[in-house]
This record gives sequence, structure tokens and C-alpha cells, in this order.
Amino acid sequence: MLELFRKYRTPLLAGCLVLAALLLFSVNLRQRPRTTLFEKAILQITAPMQKGIDSACEFVADTWSHYLWLVETSRLNETLRTENRRMRQELDTLEEVRLANERLRSLLDFKEEVALPALPAQVIAEDSSSWFRTVVIDKGSEDGVREGLPVVVPEGAVGRVIKCAPRQARVLLVTDASSSVATLVQRNRTRGICRGQGDELALEFALRQEDIAVGDQVITSGTGGVFPKGLTLGRVSGVDRGGYGLFQTVTVIPAVDFSRLEEVLVLLREEQ
Amino acid sequence: MKRVFAYLFLGVVFVLVQTTLFSRLLPFQTKPDLLLILIVYLGLTENFLRGSFLAYLFGCLLDVFSGTYLGLCGLTLLVVFLAVRGTASHFNTESSLLLLFMVFCGTLLQSAVLILALVFFVDAGSSWLIILGRLLPQLLLNLLAALVLLWGLPRLQRRFVPFLAIPGLHRLDSRYGP
Repeated sequence: MLELFRKYRTPLLAGCLVLAALLLFSVNLRQRPRTTLFEKAILQITAPMQKGIDSACEFVADTWSHYLWLVETSRLNETLRTENRRMRQELDTLEEVRLANERLRSLLDFKEEVALPALPAQVIAEDSSSWFRTVVIDKGSEDGVREGLPVVVPEGAVGRVIKCAPRQARVLLVTDASSSVATLVQRNRTRGICRGQGDELALEFALRQEDIAVGDQVITSGTGGVFPKGLTLGRVSGVDRGGYGLFQTVTVIPAVDFSRLEEVLVLLREEQ
Repeated sequence: MKRVFAYLFLGVVFVLVQTTLFSRLLPFQTKPDLLLILIVYLGLTENFLRGSFLAYLFGCLLDVFSGTYLGLCGLTLLVVFLAVRGTASHFNTESSLLLLFMVFCGTLLQSAVLILALVFFVDAGSSWLIILGRLLPQLLLNLLAALVLLWGLPRLQRRFVPFLAIPGLHRLDSRYGP
């Protein structure tokens, strides 16, 4: 027996190591919503370095685009002027809609929507691998951030806080494959679950007979327990009802440009 | 001990580069996995126990900045290290081309272990589809990064710290040396 052990010592040891790693992985799966001491320590230690590199990159990029790369500026100026004129027109229209909305609200005695306090944060790093979609922000538990809080930008929902250190936190983006958000199609109130697909989203569990069309806006339903109701998630980019089955396949393009994510808002709420 | 600290320093630098620099420099979501290259390198040059410890530690370090499952990258990088360590004795480890070949195989193995772990242990939706979809660009980027590191690191070392040797690298840099 001892002879056999000696002969196969290395493969046996390798097997034991893999088994131990697998065991630790499955133990950590149970404690997934919690941020471990190891994670807190690493996030805490690396955050100043990440901030430093991020600021240096920002400075170089800023210098390059403002002083050295002015070829596009004139054309960009013209485009922005045109866009500005168009947006002013839209703003006038929206003002009318807002006034009408206010009248209707008071008429129906709607309760004023409770606005959640929001904490601005800066994205200081991205996911280190190509497979997952997370970012690191420069606010943590000392600023009131906790696991599970929603993160948004004016364009719509960004994700939720999954790990939290005293001065930084990690955010799971809605486009990550392990992220799912309870949603509504704004036009006809069709319910579904939006799952991340890497760069886009898939609206799951939308019944086949529901009328969903390309261009429909998808918003959060508020039933998932993370995001408040009415945040924009994206627009429907493809619908496939197929020949049979209970549900249709709907793809959604996110409203947020995750490749240009810089400042975000963490929506703070009372601890339950 | 000095070697372990050198590897740890390099590992932290690689993680920082992957999380901050690559996201700004590369116009696409896929980025080279520098830690995988380091693990393959450890598999070719380090002993069994020290290498396993470092591979698992680097994997857990990567897990802090990647995905949502602590221990997943630890498991995958440990498997990659053990596979490289187990097969390295059958090859000529003096050749730097072997490192490129092992990086190629290591990327495939890492993806396979990731997919298996995600499918069997976690409800991670269509993660396996994303991994498969990005496998080819990931392979190319990893190979390119390995080539750049093999070419650049010995030169940097000779230029800035000629009195020191990068732990273990002298065995693989002869092909790119002066």
C-alpha cells in the first residue's frame, strides 16, 4: 500500500489539491452574497494603485484629446450644434408633457414617487477577465454602500453591488451572464426576466402570444427586490417567436454604454 | 523566498494591468490573460508544491476582480498549472516555443474547466456560450501577449536590472536573447 502511494505520490497529491480547491469553491458558493475578509483586504490594498493608474491614464488621454488630437474637433462642433438645436425642440415638447403629467397626477391624487438617496461613485477598474462583466467603484461600506444595492446612470440600470470593502465595491453589470433583472415591456406591460448575455440582454419568460416588437423599451418592474420600478434597461432588438414553445426569444440592447462607464449612482436605501 | 515574492509582485502588477490599463487601451471587451501566461511559465519552471500554492493564490486574486465566484479562477489556474507541470517533463523546456504552445493549450484547458465548473456547480446562465464565443480572440490575444512578454521581459531586465535575473526566465529567453 505504502509502495503504491509512493509510486503515485504526485498524481495523488495533485488530485487532492484539485479536490481541495473544488471544495473551497463550493463552500464559497454558499457565502456568495457576503464579501470575505480576503476579498476586502485585496480590494482595500489594490484600490489606491488602481486609482493611481486610472488617474494617470485619464491625464494622458485628456492631454491627448484636448491638445494633440484636434482634427475631429471642428466636425464634432458642427454635429453638436445641430444636435443642440434638435434637443432644444425636444425639450420644449417634453416641457409640455411634464406640465400635462403634473396636472394628471394631482387630478388622480397619485402619491409622489419616493426618490431614493443616491451616492455618486467613480468606476476605477473593470473585470480582470474576458468572461465576466463587473466593475470596481471608489465607494464602499464607509460611504453607506452594501451588497445588493442598485447602481444606475441617467441612461438606465447598470447593475448591483456584489462585494463591498470599506472604501470600494464591486458591481455586477446587468450584462453579466449571472445577472437577471425582473422587467416589463413598457408599451404593453409584458413581464419577463432580463438575463445578461455578455454584450446584450435576453428577455426570458415572455409568453409567446405577447405582442413584443423591435424598438420596444424594456424597463425594470421593481419586483426583483433590487432595482426600483421604471428604470430603463434597453430596447428590443430582435424577436423570435419560433414555431412552437411557451415563450418567445427576445434580445435587448442595453440602454447604457458599458464601454464608456465612468460615473455611476448607487441608490441607497434602508437596510431591511 | 525571493522568487516567490518576485512572482507575487509580478502577479499583482499583471492583475492591475488587466483591470485598469487593458480596459482603456483595448477597444474590445476581450483582454489577454497575463496571469494564465504566468501560471504556464510557473508550470515550466517551478516545483510542484510552490507552483500549486502560487497558482491557487493567483487564481483567488483574480477572483477578487473577476466574476462573482471566489475560488473559480483558483480552481482553473491550479488545474492549468498541474496539467503543464505534469506534461512539461515530456517536452524540451529549454525551448521558448513550448511556452507559446502551452499558453495555447492552457487557454483551451482554462475555458474547458471554467465551462464545466459553471455548468455543474453554478447557475450562471449562458456563461458557457460567452466563453466559447470569445475563445478564438482570447487564444490569439494570449499568444500575442506571451510573445511580447518573452521578447520584452528579458530585454527590460538586462536594460534596467542587469545585476539581477528574472527568476527562472534564463531558461526560456535564450531564443530571444542578443
